[in-house]
Amino acid sequence: MNKIIVHCTVNHKPVAVETAPNKRLLDMLREDLNLTSVKEGCGEGECGACTVIFNGEPVTSCCVLAGQAEGAEIITLEGISPDGKPDAVQQAFMESGAVQCGFCTPGMILTAEALLAKNPDPSEEEVKLALSGNLCRCTGYAKIVEAVLLAAARRREEAQA
Amino acid sequence: MKPFDFYSPTTVDEALELLHSHRESVAVVAGGTDLVLELNEHKASPAAIVDLKHIAELNYIRVEDGRFRIGAMTTHAALAADPTIAKTTHLLHDATRLVGSPQIRNLGTIGGNIAQSSVAGDGLAACVTLGADLTLRSVRGERTMNIVDFLEGEGAQKRNSLAADELLTEISFPVPDVKHTATAFYKLGKRKALAISVIAGCMTATVDDDGVCTHVSMRAGALGRYPMHFASCEEYLIGKKLSYAVMLETLPIMHDQILEANRSRPWSVFYKKEGAQGVYKKLFADILGQLGIEEVRE
Repeated sequence: MNKIIVHCTVNHKPVAVETAPNKRLLDMLREDLNLTSVKEGCGEGECGACTVIFNGEPVTSCCVLAGQAEGAEIITLEGISPDGKPDAVQQAFMESGAVQCGFCTPGMILTAEALLAKNPDPSEEEVKLALSGNLCRCTGYAKIVEAVLLAAARRREEAQA
Repeated sequence: MKPFDFYSPTTVDEALELLHSHRESVAVVAGGTDLVLELNEHKASPAAIVDLKHIAELNYIRVEDGRFRIGAMTTHAALAADPTIAKTTHLLHDATRLVGSPQIRNLGTIGGNIAQSSVAGDGLAACVTLGADLTLRSVRGERTMNIVDFLEGEGAQKRNSLAADELLTEISFPVPDVKHTATAFYKLGKRKALAISVIAGCMTATVDDDGVCTHVSMRAGALGRYPMHFASCEEYLIGKKLSYAVMLETLPIMHDQILEANRSRPWSVFYKKEGAQGVYKKLFADILGQLGIEEVRE
């Protein structure tokens, strides 16, 4: 059995991916679907760079086998700006200076998106806890937390308008 | 990663059949937070992998006849979010709330943590301290054993009793009666998140209406191959009226036990024997506060 077909929903589209069972979800997304926003950092579940939203929850895609994604709903960074326009979290990251080298950014933004989907009005502590599995070696985190709070505030304003 | 055959059963019976027919070289993947890394680093290369993610009947938290019954595929995140566990069993609530990172808690399962029997498994240390019973199933039948006996067995992986064709399906332990029983967890790690436990202190204590200790369990992860059991400390406390002062009297006993057990690893023992005492001071204060006996301020 060299090939398997994984049926799942990636970035809101149902797909049937022909892949190898001995690939991680990370590899399947990057190599078979060309979703190169998903970054491999440590490859050990320690840094959060490969975070994707898996059935609504952030998970490290380096810890998931491709076959385990059968039936799952997966969202990568490509899926939060389908028309190529940055969404509120991306916009806030740019404006707040929350991006330096950028390698951790896709994982950071997806973790933030998953938080805001559940909790549109998080406290600073809640943002820090939610992002505690995403390491950034450049920014010192202050600007990232600021960006998530800014995006949350803007989304709430939009929802009220 | 070396090639393997991948199976994704949807029922326990189906999984057991697969484990039986591939028992010569098979691995079970639950949350994947250990096994997928081992596969990727070529530390494990089974011919077949049985994935449990799609077995809904292994994912539950129930209370039946005064016992928690927890399906092996319940994630750390689900355990940490369970209101009954949060109210009654601080030990398991905090162990699952603090393990790894949000991403790891969304993947990692309590069954995987126990079956893996890592030196520093926080869920494992918590369940050992709670005196949990485990249900193991195979095509040959079902057996229930205490988690301490489970860790003493020499199964397929040598680290616990699990046979190659056997699946851990359920973890159960009595729901603590919070009027008389308190449970607590304190993790010493290098950071708040994404840090493996340096010491994972666990404790439960039960008192009668006069505050006299009738049962106590003290075990800590990452001090030895398996959670270290402070049996002499427990013996010291049984039958005594609990107070912070009395509990502190166990610390010299703990100090000597850690020193003795870690003689072969002198580089870590100096730190760990001191660290463990600090960890247990926190646990004593937490337990006494929960039982309404004493507010400890340091």
